[in-house]
Amino acid sequence: MSWSGILQRPKAEEARAAAPDDRELIARVSSGDLQAFERLYRLYQPRLTRFLTTLLKRPQLIEEVLDDTMMVVWQTAGNFRGSSKPSTWVFAIAYRKAIKARARWPDPVEEPDFDHRVSEEPLPDEELHQERLRGALLKAMDQLSPDHRAVVDLTYFHGLGYREIAEIVGCPVDTVKTRMFHARKRLKQAMSGSLVDWL
Amino acid sequence: MSEPNLSERPPHDEAEELLPWYATGQLDEADRARVDAHLSTCASCRKQLSLERQLIDEFQAMSPEIESGWARLQSRLNAPVAAVQYSPTPPRPTRPNPFAEMWAILSRPAVAGLAIAQLAFVVAAGTILLSLSRPSYQTLGSAPAPTSANMIVMFRADATIEDVRRSLDAAGASIVDGPSLADAYLLHVAPQRRATALAKLQSDDNVQLAQPIDGARS
Repeated sequence: MSWSGILQRPKAEEARAAAPDDRELIARVSSGDLQAFERLYRLYQPRLTRFLTTLLKRPQLIEEVLDDTMMVVWQTAGNFRGSSKPSTWVFAIAYRKAIKARARWPDPVEEPDFDHRVSEEPLPDEELHQERLRGALLKAMDQLSPDHRAVVDLTYFHGLGYREIAEIVGCPVDTVKTRMFHARKRLKQAMSGSLVDWL
Repeated sequence: MSEPNLSERPPHDEAEELLPWYATGQLDEADRARVDAHLSTCASCRKQLSLERQLIDEFQAMSPEIESGWARLQSRLNAPVAAVQYSPTPPRPTRPNPFAEMWAILSRPAVAGLAIAQLAFVVAAGTILLSLSRPSYQTLGSAPAPTSANMIVMFRADATIEDVRRSLDAAGASIVDGPSLADAYLLHVAPQRRATALAKLQSDDNVQLAQPIDGARS
C-alpha cells in the first residue's frame, strides 16, 4: 500500500524535465556560448535567488552571490563532468559562495520581524488564518540557522532528495536528515502556535 | 562526531526522518518501501505525513524573496517622507527630495531582482516618474507658483471618476497634470494642508500611491 498519493510536486517535476537541457546548456557554455549562458541564467536566476534569500539576509549580498555563482558557472563549465545533476553542481557553487559571503558580511543584527508584516487590513477568516500561518512559518524559518534553512528550502521548495542536498551543502546524508528533523519540529511548533493564536 | 547508524535504529525513527522526502516523492525504492511498511502500522506517522504535505504546500506558496524585497522597498519609500517632515532646518536646494529618493530606489540594480508584484509596481512607478518628471519637477525648486505640483498620486485601477473626485475633494487637492501613461496625476495642495492631505490620500482606499515631490517643505 502506498501513502504517497500526491508525490509529484510541480517544482520537482520541472527540475527533472529541465535536466537534459541544463546539461546541454552547460556543455555549450563551456565553449563560450553566451546565448546558452543567458538561457542558463534565466533558468536558474529565480531558483538561486530564492535559495540565497533563505541563506543571506543582506539583499545586496544576495545579488552579489548570485552574480558570483553564475560567473563561476561561466568560467568553469568545462569542469562539469556530469557525475551529478547540473542543478546540484550550480546550487553547490551558490551554497559555497553564500557561506563565504556570510563570513565576510555577517547577517545584520536587527532582523525584520515577520510578524509585523502581517496585514492590518480586515481579511476574510480563511485568508487571515493563512496569513498568520505563513507569518509564523517565516518567523520560525528566520530563527533557524542558515544551514537548517538551506535544507528545508531545498527539500520543500526545490523538491530535492536528501542525497542531492548532502552533495550541495557538503555534509553526510545523516546530517541532512538530522537537520531536517530538527527544523521540522520547529516549523510544526510554529504551525500549531499560529493555530492557537487563531482559536 | 559519529553519525548514528540508521540500520540499527527503530523503524519508527527512521521512517519519521524520511517523511519529508517521502512526501515530495524523492525517496528511492528501498526507502519508500520501508516508509510505506511503517505507515501502514503507525497512525502518528500518517498524521505527520499530512503535516508534511501542508508544509510543502506552504513553502511552495511562500515567497521569502518578495517578503524581504518588499519590506526593504517599503521602508525606503516611507523613510524620506518622515525624515524630511520632521527636519528642524529647511532642506538645502541640493538635498535629494522624496521624489529623487524614489527615483534613486527605482533605478537601483537591486530593484531589477524583485519579484513580479514589486516589479509591476516599480514599472508603473518608473513610468510615472519618467513621464511626469521633466516639466513639473524642474520648476519646483525655483518659484513655486500656486499651481505647482507638490504631490504625485496614482489611483486604483478600478476607481471611478466619482471616487477620484471624492478623494481629491477630501484631500483639498487639485490636479495639475495627468493622467500620465501610467495613469498617475500631479497634484497641488495648499502648503498649510499638505501633511493632512498626504495622510488622507495615503490612507484612501482608492489611492494606490501618494508621494510628495517638492522636497517636503511644510
